Formats: sequence, structure tokens, C-alpha cells
Amino acid sequence: MATLEELEARLQRLNDIREIERLQKIYGYYCDYFEFDKVVDLFSDNAESVEVADHGVYKGKEGVRRFYIDLLQGGEGKEPRFGLLSINFQLQGVITVDPGGRTAKGRWYGFMVEAKPTLSLHEGDLRALWGNGIYENEYIRENGKWMFKKLHFFLNFRTPFEDGWLKTPVVGHNGPDPVVRPDAPPTIWSPYPSAYKFQPHFKHPITGEE
Amino acid sequence: MNLEELEAQITLLEDIQAITDLQRMYGYYFDTHNWRKIIDLFSENTESIEIVDHGLFYGKEGVRKVYWDIIACGGENRFPPWVEFVITQIGSVVTVNPDGKTAQARFQTWLCESKQYGAYPRQEWLHGYYENKYVKEDGKWLFSKLHWNNTFCSPFDAGWLKLPLMGWMPVPGADAPPTCFHPYPARYRVPYTFKHPITGKE
Repeated sequence: MATLEELEARLQRLNDIREIERLQKIYGYYCDYFEFDKVVDLFSDNAESVEVADHGVYKGKEGVRRFYIDLLQGGEGKEPRFGLLSINFQLQGVITVDPGGRTAKGRWYGFMVEAKPTLSLHEGDLRALWGNGIYENEYIRENGKWMFKKLHFFLNFRTPFEDGWLKTPVVGHNGPDPVVRPDAPPTIWSPYPSAYKFQPHFKHPITGEE
Repeated sequence: MNLEELEAQITLLEDIQAITDLQRMYGYYFDTHNWRKIIDLFSENTESIEIVDHGLFYGKEGVRKVYWDIIACGGENRFPPWVEFVITQIGSVVTVNPDGKTAQARFQTWLCESKQYGAYPRQEWLHGYYENKYVKEDGKWLFSKLHWNNTFCSPFDAGWLKLPLMGWMPVPGADAPPTCFHPYPARYRVPYTFKHPITGKE
């Protein structure tokens, strides 16, 4: 029979996983409503970076703010344009809490149902889109709360509703922004049909293989 | 941590699991047209139920009206075989209140449906958010309030941008008009029942 301390440690691990999953799903809900102030507050002040699709790497908490507020929102206080839609399903989390319980990693599917312009992030006619990709994120526990330390979203496809991923794998991605510039170029930009495999962080649960 | 605190923590984990399961079972019962079983997922003291723009229905009697009289068309097996609801229950964010007897949760659904529109079968995509309430009675979690707020209901081939909404209409017998029905492209935001996990703000 385990001691009370051992049970407490196991319970803590279950709670960690639950809180990280909650964080990631709430991230999705805030993104749905373009509430990027709230999204930025989900990141640690010691955040490492955020990288989404082909936008490049934005470093530190300041980079997180520049990416979500300056780039995606189009500036502080700016309301989304009429008809803009971005539903971000956060699906199928696999969370790995590191020994010590202070940091963790998580892999998720993102599936998007959208109406967005494709000429640029904010300009051009709205088009109905399907999107799919994978997150490999890192989390950190500070003052008893789990926060994002690093977010990386690998885009698989973003395709017009009418076309589908085979006919038109990617629209609306025009590279790093020339004005709200990233701190570094994309580490990976290999959407469908590149055959690139965005490898999972987790070890094989049976063999322990990386 | 003592044994009492340990028990309280485990109870909380079990409560969250039970509520998540309840919500997912609701979806599976809906898929399989188990309308009687859905009604039994609701507390006798249910506050209200509201789905799309059908209006607000009060109490357990309201639950029966919505699932039996309206959705089931007043009986089992009233649909032709091609009528289908695939009503996924995803994105659970469950908040159990400090009393341990009540809770609320946000979920969302992505639906693939085929339904009758007048004389014509139509297939459609739907999205919407739930903000529901639950109550623990005799050790079991039940729905005490259900609200499904529809974002769009679009034909399979036209999509949400071209044709955001089709086919809904208020039904007779509601206790009150819809409290909020503002589908896409309205900028309506279904309020969250959870607080910001870091800042604690509403």
C-alpha cells in the first residue's frame, strides 16, 4: 500500500494533466472569439516562443504579445472584421508531465472551421475554409498554475471549403509579415502534400523509444 | 495532505469525469435516437432547456416537450432511416462549484446531419456551443440546465459563409422566447462559465 505522500504525488500528476488540458481548450475558446488579450495572459512571463504555420518564431512574452495582438488582432483594441470566423477545435491531447512536475509537453490536433480573407491576414474577400494541423506545446507551472511556455502549431492544410485539401492544400499563407516581423524564420513550413512528419514529443509507451 | 483532503481531491476528479461522461452519453443517445434515455439524464428539478431558436422551456416538463414532442415528433422511430444526427461532444471545460453539488461546463459540437426540410432530404454542417449546468443528486450527476447556442446550420454544399442558417423556426408551446439566438455572422459571444485560468477574471 502506498503512503499518503506517494498518493498525493500521483494525485498531483492527474491534476496537472487535467489543468493543462483545460488550459489548452480554453486557449481554443478564446481564439474562437478573437480575445487575444486573454490568450496572451495564458502565457508565462518567461514564455520561450510562439510559432504558428509560416508566420515565423516570435520570442519571449513580448513576442507572444506582438504575434497575437499586433499581427493576428491587427493592433490593440481592434475589433474583428464583419464575418470573420475561426473555430479552433482542440482535440485529442496527449500530455507528458516532466519528472519534477514543473514543466510539461502536450500534443494536440487543431481542426479549424473558418471564414477568413486569404489575400493577406486582414485584407481581401472572406472565404470559407477548412484547416488542420498539430500542436506540440510546452507548459510551465508557476505559482501553482499551468501556463504556456512555448506554442508551436504545424499547419497541415488550410483549404477552401469548396475545394478540399487534395485540390488546394494551402491558401492564405504568404510568409512572415513584413511589418510585424518575427524574431526568426519558421523552423518548419511543410504543409500537405510534403510528406513531412511532425514527430511527437512523447516516448513510445511500451518500448520507451524516442 | 490528510486522508480527508485526499478523498475530497479524488471526489473532484470523479465528479469532472462523471459530468464529461454524462455530456458525451447525451450525444451518443442523441445519435441513436434514445429520446427516453435523454430525458432521464435530466434532474426532476431541471431549471430550463433551450436549443437553437425553439425558445425557452422550463422544468422537467419542458425537457419532455423538447425531446419527445418536438425532436422525436411524439414517439419512437418516427424518422425515415436516412435521417441522421452525428452530434459530437467536444472541448469539455468543467467547473465544479465549492459545494460539490453543482457544476457548469462549456462544450461544443460539430454536427453532420441529414434531416427533412418539407418534402426534401438535406445534409448539413452545424456548429454550436453548450453552456450547461449540472446537479449531483443521490451521488449521481444530472443535467439541471441545458443551452445549446447554434453558430451556423449550413447546407453541405453551400457552407457557412454562403448560407449560414437554414431551417430553424420557433416552435409552439415554448414558455418564453429564445434568450439569445444570434447565429453567424452576428458577433455574439456565448458567455463563458469559467474564469480566466491565470488572471482569475470573469
